[in-house]
Amino acid sequence: MNDHTHIYEPHKQLKLGMKIWAEMFRELFQFRELIWRLFIRDLSAKYKQSVLGNLWSLVMPFVAIGTFMYLNHAGILDIGQTQMPYPLYALIGLSVWQVFATGLSSGANSLVGAGDLITKISFPREVLVIASMAQSVFEFLIKFVLIIVFFLVFQFSPSWNIVFLPLVLVPLVFLTVGLALILALLNGVMRDIGNIVSLLLMFLMFLTPVLYPIPGKGLLFFELNFLSPLVNAPRDLIAFGHIQQPGHFMMAAGISLLIFLVSWRIFHLAETKIPERM
Amino acid sequence: MSDIAVRCEHAGKKFCKSLKKSMLYGGLDIFGSVFGAVPDSTILRPEEFWAVDEVSFELKRGESFGIIGPNGSGKSTLLKMLNGIFMPDKGRITVNGKMGALIQVGAGFHPMLSGRENIYINGAILGMTKKELDRKFDSIVDFADISDFLDSPVKFYSSGMYVRLGFAIAVHCEPDILLIDEILAVGDKAFQIKCYQRMHEIKKKGTTIILVSHNEYVVREHTGRCLYLNHGKQRSMGPSEETINVYIKDVYEQRSQQRTVNNSQDPNKQKYAEIIGLKFCNVQGRETSFIESGAALDVFIEFMVHEDMDKPILGVNFYADDGALVYGANSHYEQFEVKEFLRGPHSVKIHIPHFYLPTNDYLCSVVVAQENVGNLIDWHDSRYKLVVGRAPNARGLLKLPTQWEILK
Repeated sequence: MNDHTHIYEPHKQLKLGMKIWAEMFRELFQFRELIWRLFIRDLSAKYKQSVLGNLWSLVMPFVAIGTFMYLNHAGILDIGQTQMPYPLYALIGLSVWQVFATGLSSGANSLVGAGDLITKISFPREVLVIASMAQSVFEFLIKFVLIIVFFLVFQFSPSWNIVFLPLVLVPLVFLTVGLALILALLNGVMRDIGNIVSLLLMFLMFLTPVLYPIPGKGLLFFELNFLSPLVNAPRDLIAFGHIQQPGHFMMAAGISLLIFLVSWRIFHLAETKIPERM
Repeated sequence: MSDIAVRCEHAGKKFCKSLKKSMLYGGLDIFGSVFGAVPDSTILRPEEFWAVDEVSFELKRGESFGIIGPNGSGKSTLLKMLNGIFMPDKGRITVNGKMGALIQVGAGFHPMLSGRENIYINGAILGMTKKELDRKFDSIVDFADISDFLDSPVKFYSSGMYVRLGFAIAVHCEPDILLIDEILAVGDKAFQIKCYQRMHEIKKKGTTIILVSHNEYVVREHTGRCLYLNHGKQRSMGPSEETINVYIKDVYEQRSQQRTVNNSQDPNKQKYAEIIGLKFCNVQGRETSFIESGAALDVFIEFMVHEDMDKPILGVNFYADDGALVYGANSHYEQFEVKEFLRGPHSVKIHIPHFYLPTNDYLCSVVVAQENVGNLIDWHDSRYKLVVGRAPNARGLLKLPTQWEILK
C-alpha cells in the first residue's frame, strides 16, 4: 500500500532483474512499523494468555542444564573442562542456541499461522517472519537477565568485550531469518515442514556444541557445522574477550549472510504463490 | 498521476481443483521461478481452471464500479488480484494510487488483545503510521461506537462490534482506491446505513470505489458502472442498471430451465393452467428488472390455459430480502372478477401507477388459483426479481406524494 503505481502481471518479479533488490529494501523499510506492531502484538498476546508470561522461556534452559549436570555428575557423560562454571557455560550456550531454534520454528510457522492476514490483506510477507524473529531475540534479552544473575551467583566476571555481544549475534540472526524464510515458504505448500523443523532442531542441538565444549579431536561434522562457531563466539567473547576461532567465525558469518540474501530473494519471488495455496 | 485509477487488461487467474495437484504445482512454480525455468502460466495444466478469465476494464479516478455475479463467478478472486494478493497468471493490472481493501473486516485482529491495541495493529497492517493513528484514534472509536469496550479483548465483542471496528479502521486509512467485498451484509441496518453514508462521503472526496455485492440494489445505488462476471468471464459491462438487468435475466432464465427439467420429470401432473412468465415494464414500456420507488410499473402475467377454467384468480407477491411479504397484488382481493379463461395463451396486465415499495431487492411470486385463493392451479415461487431504487430527491428509502400548505 503506497502512493506509487503498482503493476501486477505474471512473472513480474523476474522481469525486474537486479532492480528487485531496491524494491525489496524499500518495501521492508516502508513496513517497519508493521514489523514493530506485529512484534508487540505477539508479545502482549503471549503475555496475556499465561500466568508466568515470558518467564516460560526460562524454564527450558533450567530443565536442560539440570539434566546435563545430572548426567555429568552420574558419570554417564563426560563434558570435560569448560572455560567457566558449567551452569553458566550451558546457560549462555542454550540462550544463544534458542535465538536460532525458536526463531526458526516460529518463523517457519509464521505464514501458515497468520491465516486471514495472508489471504485477505496485501503486504510483504517477510514482515511476518521478521516479526517472529524479533520475538526470539526478545526472549534472549530476558534470558540475558538470568545470565547476569548467574554471573553474580558464580562470581564470574565477564570480559568487558561483552558489549560487542549484539554484534557477534548478528550473523546468527541473519542465518535464522534466511532459513526461516525458505521454511515458511515450503510450509505454505506442505504442512509437514513445521514438524520436520522441530525434529531437526532437536538433533541439531545435540550435534552442535551448545551444552558441551567443542570436542578436541577434529570430527568432520563439527568442522563442517558452521552453527558451532556462531554459537560459541558469544561464549568466547564473554569468557576470554575474543573469539577463539576467528577464521571459522568469519566464514560462518559470510555463509549466513549469503544464505539470508539468497533466501530473501527466493522468498520474494515466490511469496505471491502462497496466498492462493493457503 | 494519470487520471486512470485502475486498468485491468485481459487479466486471468487460474486455480486448481485438486489439493494434491495444487501442492505439486505450487512446488513446481516456486522451484521454477527460483531457477529461472518459468512455466508458461497461461497454459492450463490438468485439473486447473480459469477462476477469472480475460477481464478488461479501466476505471477513472473517482469512479465507482460494481462487480456482480453468482457465487463462484470469480468476484472475490478478481478483487484479490486488484489488491495484489493474487498475481494474475495472464494479462496485466495497473493500479495508480494508495489501495485500501475491505476484503474481510477484522482480518488480523488478535482476539486476546483489546480494541485499543487492535486499532493500532490493524491500522499498521493497512499501512497507517502511529502518528496518523493517534490523530484518527478518537474518530475511529467514535465511528465504531465501541467506547465502552475499548479496553476489553476483542474476543468478547459481538460480531457486529467486530465488524464495526474493522470497517471504522479501514475507512480511516483514506485510500485513493477502496475495494469493498460483501462485508456490509454483516452488522445491523443502522450501521449499514452509516457505512454507506461514509462510502458516499469518501466517493465525493474523489476516491475510486470498487464494490462487490450480491445485493443488486446496493450496487445500483452506489456504482455508476458495473461488471457482471459469470464463470470467471466478463459476461457484460456497462451502466449499472443495464448490467444488473442482464444479470437478473440470466438468473431467471437459468432457473426456469431448471424448472422445465423438473416439471418434465413429472408426467402425471396435469394442470389446467400453466404460468409462462412474469414481466415488468417501466413507464416507457421497456422491459426491466429495475424501477425507481414511486414510479409507474406494469406487471405482465403470461400463462397458458389447457382446459377452460372459470373463476380464475391471479396474484403477484413481492418479498423483501429477509423473506417478508411486503406487498401482494391479488385479483380476488381487488375485485377484478373474470368469468372464465378459455383454452389458449393469455396475458394479464397489472398497472401500478405509483409503485411505492421502499428501495430494496424483491423476489416475486406468481400464482394462478381457482374459485378461492387456496385452490392453487400453478405458481412460480420467488422466481422473479425486481430491484427498486431510490427516487430522485428521496430522503430515505421511499418518496411519498405530499401536499404542502401554509396554514398560518
